[in-house]
Amino acid sequence: MAIAKNAFREAVRDRILYNLILFVLLITASAIFLGELTAGQEARIIVNLGLSAILIFGTFISIFVGGSLVWKEIEKRTVYSIFSKPISRGEFIIGKYLGLCLTILVNVAVMGVGVSLALLYVGGGKLAGTIWGAVFLIFLELTIITAVAIMFSSFSTPALSALLTFFVFLIGHFSSSLRDLAESLGSKAAILLFKAIYYLLPNLSNFSFITNSANGDAAPLAMLGGAAAYAVFYDIILMTITFVIFKRRNFK
Amino acid sequence: MRMSVFKSVLLPAAIIIAGFAVVISLSGYLERVRPPLPDGYEDSDLSMNGSRLKGYGLGMEGLMADWYWMRALQYIGGKIVNSKTEFINIDDLHDLNPRLLYPMLENATELDPHFIGAYSFGAIILPAIDRDKAINLTEKGIANNPNEWRLYQQLGYIYWRLGNYDKAAEIYERGSEIAGAQPFMKMMAASMKTEGGSRDTSRKIFQQMLDGSDDPMVRLTAERKLMQFDSLDERDAIDKALKDFKESNGRCANLLAEILPMLHSVRLPQGHEFHVDAANRLIDPSDAPYLLDKEKCVSNLDADKTKLPVK
Repeated sequence: MAIAKNAFREAVRDRILYNLILFVLLITASAIFLGELTAGQEARIIVNLGLSAILIFGTFISIFVGGSLVWKEIEKRTVYSIFSKPISRGEFIIGKYLGLCLTILVNVAVMGVGVSLALLYVGGGKLAGTIWGAVFLIFLELTIITAVAIMFSSFSTPALSALLTFFVFLIGHFSSSLRDLAESLGSKAAILLFKAIYYLLPNLSNFSFITNSANGDAAPLAMLGGAAAYAVFYDIILMTITFVIFKRRNFK
Repeated sequence: MRMSVFKSVLLPAAIIIAGFAVVISLSGYLERVRPPLPDGYEDSDLSMNGSRLKGYGLGMEGLMADWYWMRALQYIGGKIVNSKTEFINIDDLHDLNPRLLYPMLENATELDPHFIGAYSFGAIILPAIDRDKAINLTEKGIANNPNEWRLYQQLGYIYWRLGNYDKAAEIYERGSEIAGAQPFMKMMAASMKTEGGSRDTSRKIFQQMLDGSDDPMVRLTAERKLMQFDSLDERDAIDKALKDFKESNGRCANLLAEILPMLHSVRLPQGHEFHVDAANRLIDPSDAPYLLDKEKCVSNLDADKTKLPVK
């Protein structure tokens, strides 16, 4: 818990939450100016724009902060002083992960409130409530991206971690296309390969509900529960892999 | 102290301001010297097919749909602004050649099949450009959103415009059976069967369009149409008064003002009244004075001043 709190404080010290200012400006400007451009559709556009911005901002935080979180401790050699205390490598990794998830949760929640307020301003009161299912799904998606970033961060440089995590983010959203591609291929090996990628990489389209949300649909409980379970299990898998890699690392 | 303020604040500020001044004037210069693009470049379809973009939006397909939607609005708005004509014939937009409107709306609704606003806009505006495409888009909307009774209302409107009152009645009837449909859907189905081509039915259609839409262009279309029907009612009454005047005086009136006393007792539909301007001239609902065709002894719209469709 101490590691998690520390990771959160570190993120705050690194002015990660400053992105909220940019977000607030974006949403405020949208709420004020979109009415002129959207012919009565400003509420749905605020939802699409706001939730997409939450996803993009959150993804960048996950990729860039998650990708350097562990590396920084090793590079600055602060990892030695941490491990001199009664903290295991597993606790360290999980603490870092939870700390970053907390940072992202604060970000996502504040941004979600911003979108709701903008919706209330433009008279989209109903959407102000129904978007929260989609906001929760975005948070779940970001926990997976964060876990992927920390996993890469445990054995590579921040730049490479960021690049690899970004690829996983892209492939994770295109995975249903990969499955379709596999089905249209003739070669059995290729089918097997693409199907393996489809099942092994996180299927991030499971968390996509922004477009539905903009039309006033509330995410069904079964979907929220299923997505939460999927995210938790996937996070456990990734944290386990990270732990195995990190445990084998020699810091001498 | 003064030197340090100069170095730390004034000098950098001066450099930044001077830099922006140069950059801004340079960008204006570059716009002027850049060779022009071929005519019609802005009308070329460089957008990707929405159905192919699906699945590549990283979960943000809705945002992409909104982008196409705003582009569609700006596109048609730009066409109208650039047309340089004072009044647009909202029944026929072929002259504007807005050929990209359909692909843009098609893309928006491919990316977000529940984008009711885009279907509705297409249903109202596209019939003035391409009726088959208007039907295609609205039928796609119904297929994707079978419980949206308003899409049936709009499809019924398209068939009504085509003069296919039986089909329009059938569509209104189908829409009226959807839970939550307004009672007027049932009434419209009946009106279409019995008096599809009447002015009263037309008035009802555009009144419902006006009541049910937030879109400024759709509202403008409906308002103009309603004004046109009011004007037709007025001209019917004016022409009848002119005829009566001619029968009792053996000549046509010299001015419309001559028949004004005869119009005082006329009851117009919807409880409307005649309006005159400061010069005591009879004016149409867009405040343009009516003209008198003395040869035929009938009233006409002033094509140069009215905002109503003259044809």
